[in-house]
Amino acid sequence: MASVRATLSLSSAGVLSSPLNISVNSNLVVDSGSLIRAKVKGTAADTNDLAVYIANQCSERAYLYIKNLETELESYIYVHNDTDTGLVAKIGGGEFAFIPINPDKKHEVYATRVDTMIEYGVFGNDNSAAPYGGT
Amino acid sequence: MATTNATITLSSSDLTGDALALSTTTSLTKAGTLTGLTQTTGVGRKTTSATAQYTLFDGDAYANGSHKVYLKNTSTVATEYLTIEINSEQMGKLYAGDWAFFPWEANADTNDIKITPSVSTSLTLEYALFIDE
Repeated sequence: MASVRATLSLSSAGVLSSPLNISVNSNLVVDSGSLIRAKVKGTAADTNDLAVYIANQCSERAYLYIKNLETELESYIYVHNDTDTGLVAKIGGGEFAFIPINPDKKHEVYATRVDTMIEYGVFGNDNSAAPYGGT
Repeated sequence: MATTNATITLSSSDLTGDALALSTTTSLTKAGTLTGLTQTTGVGRKTTSATAQYTLFDGDAYANGSHKVYLKNTSTVATEYLTIEINSEQMGKLYAGDWAFFPWEANADTNDIKITPSVSTSLTLEYALFIDE
């Protein structure tokens, strides 16, 4: 087993009348994970989506870090799973998300623009029966 | 205009042969603009006491935008988790001590963020919503 330390800091001097400073961290005990930078081709759900997580790739739980590397905020990426109709997240250019994902479902990404560059990583306990690269 | 920054750091010395060390920062802005978010719920806590589903944020109560959500399961019991549901879909399970941060569009009543604790004993979720209004 390995551990990944995930830290989030939120700070603002002006959103409240007193300064806001939140810093939290968690140690994820995992045995697999990676960071990948890739282009998203699809601009509509289920057409040329980029798969970022294969169903059952991880056992029990998995965490997804994903960042939209576009510089324009209006160049969105859309994260969804391949069996439900709604979105898991809509992320503007320059924004990121760090979320737990349902390990049973394939997660895919499409974008406002063709060839939107993203960075993502999934951290969890690998399920050898459904490896990311396929069998 | 308020400026609120979110920084994520992911690090590991033993997951891969090359140490993982990622740090990235984003400013929390309104949808499609560089205008900072000016409203927030502040940091709050909600304690549950049943395995029922609770509505944390009502999608109908906020405008269609790019709200930002912070969640943390404050439990110290490793097996205790909160199932996070968004748009009537399971996002995932937030286990003890873990946190999540993500944008939320909130454009209709169906876009609620709901939580379902795994235990009927006391379980506390820490949260903050930065509102795009």
